[in-house]
Amino acid sequence: MAALCRVRHRWKRTNCIQLLTRNLTGTFDYDLVVIGGGSGGLACSKEAAQLGQKVAVLDYVEPSVKGTKWGIGGTCVNVGCIPKKLMHQAALLGTALKDAQKYEQWKPAVQNHVRSLNWGHRVQLQDKEVKYLNVKGSLLDEHTVKGSTRTGKEIMLTAKNIVIATGGRPKYPTHIPGAVEHGITSDDIFWLKESPGKTLVVGASYVALECAGFLTGIGLETTVMVRSIPLRGFDQQMAGLVTDYMEAYGTKFSWRSVPKSVDKLSSGVLQVTWTDEQTGKDQRDTFDSVLWAVGRAPETKTLGLEKVGVKLNKESGKILVAADESTSVPNIYAFGDIGEGRPELTPTAIKAGKLLARRLAGQTNELMNYDNVATTVFTPLEYGCVGLSEEEAESRHGKDSIEVYHAFYKPLEFTVAERDASQCYIKVVCKRGGDQRILGLHFTGPNAGEVTQGFAMGFQCGATLTHLKETVGIHPTCAEELTKVNVSKRSGLDATVTGC
Amino acid sequence: MSHYEEVKVHGYDEFCKAVSERKGNDIFAYFSGDIDTQGLSWCPDCVKAEPIVRGEMSHLPEGSVFFYCQVGERPYWKDPNNEFKKTLKLSGVPTLIRYGTPQKLVEEECFKADLVRMMFTED
Repeated sequence: MAALCRVRHRWKRTNCIQLLTRNLTGTFDYDLVVIGGGSGGLACSKEAAQLGQKVAVLDYVEPSVKGTKWGIGGTCVNVGCIPKKLMHQAALLGTALKDAQKYEQWKPAVQNHVRSLNWGHRVQLQDKEVKYLNVKGSLLDEHTVKGSTRTGKEIMLTAKNIVIATGGRPKYPTHIPGAVEHGITSDDIFWLKESPGKTLVVGASYVALECAGFLTGIGLETTVMVRSIPLRGFDQQMAGLVTDYMEAYGTKFSWRSVPKSVDKLSSGVLQVTWTDEQTGKDQRDTFDSVLWAVGRAPETKTLGLEKVGVKLNKESGKILVAADESTSVPNIYAFGDIGEGRPELTPTAIKAGKLLARRLAGQTNELMNYDNVATTVFTPLEYGCVGLSEEEAESRHGKDSIEVYHAFYKPLEFTVAERDASQCYIKVVCKRGGDQRILGLHFTGPNAGEVTQGFAMGFQCGATLTHLKETVGIHPTCAEELTKVNVSKRSGLDATVTGC
Repeated sequence: MSHYEEVKVHGYDEFCKAVSERKGNDIFAYFSGDIDTQGLSWCPDCVKAEPIVRGEMSHLPEGSVFFYCQVGERPYWKDPNNEFKKTLKLSGVPTLIRYGTPQKLVEEECFKADLVRMMFTED
């Protein structure tokens, strides 16, 4: 056995030398090797292939702690945006019909859709002649990528350019006893064998709130444990409206709480002990599942980056990138969630990937514009926004230089269902004086994503309050309330919209 | 002796019955317009795709079942309420599916040998 190993190692070394010789003559196996087959990696590789480049994309999913793994497509398709939105829809329907749809009923539909997307990507890659390899990629040198299969077999590829788009994975709070053994993350929530039952969601990010939101909506007793503030980085007034709505609709919140330990009882349930920071006392309760949503970590550890000289941000672990997605090594690029300072969003990864492919193929010099990106949080009451939060606008321009217009409105559809609309709200943050350039636009209400998308284009064009007021609304919609906004916070007047 | 079983069926009921008798197997199904006495289908795409699909059948997994299903005559197929369209959600012929999975190849996709091979060899 040992003899065989020795022979294998000798073969590998010889192979390496042969490859290095090939590099020196300037011929590579591929024009482009993309490590990571998620939103960004797939968009980049397909675009490059379409432009005539010889491309290979390496995708490999390291199973989660609980053993969950999935097909090609990355986080968005398999354990992010897509199953999230489907479950969010299921929850909304469940609430609307006052007949909670069970996890077991929705799971097959969601999983089937995800699998059809996996297949769709495979067909597209094959069609566009992108070589797909289900291997874990790592860098050997600036033009060589090693790919390891699940069974440990290794292959080598050489490439003129290498793109890293490996994204991120959920973090586990490893310092909390029992957290890793007994908890799950968003990687697992869509693929569980059984319903998660009574669930504790730890965290206050959009991932935490969205998951807690749909779990509540499908009839499960759900608690969110928040250390300090919800939706850090988002407008805090809007974040408060989102959580107020969730509380009113049955999601429990444990504020200012820090988990201490998770134990599994003989009955199989999980006992969580946490510290109530306000009283300083410890509390305890039991749950069927504990979902950690305490942040995401970049997938860079096993890429061999230090060896090749690709520099990382020491704190975040993300790859340092320039405006053209280049790294500290000339022919190595990185984009998507893995890039330091980049938004962790699918549409920005896709667009950045396509532009990078076009630049590498010499078709354009256009760089990705990461400004003015609109987003939506798909909590039970959706929150859409583009531009600055009120706090950010105050901080940048000064409270006296901004004017905030706002309105509490009631969606017509809530009237029929007799739903409480207290948290349906619009806020337009503008520069004070002149045409009042819009600095930020915020909307909570049904279909917030659909509402915000159109206004995002206006924002991109430099819309002012005058433009907004000159726009005639479509009636009856929630979106039209944005065009009618006229009460400023400064005036102190009642901002409730009355009548038709 | 091939490593897969080919089953020829005609019409929706026959297809469903034959599939239910083979639950637990890896099932592939190729849907084609009916063949006439000369061995030609009224569906020109089916005529084009069949040899390509057959050419890749050596890549079928060991122990799998390959259904060759004639769906019916053209007027039956054109009816949007026929059982294949309504229940199996087929949108066109030829269609090649891996039963019980979202894996499918529709119409021109069946002309591509590499796509057919990919479906037969995918895990």
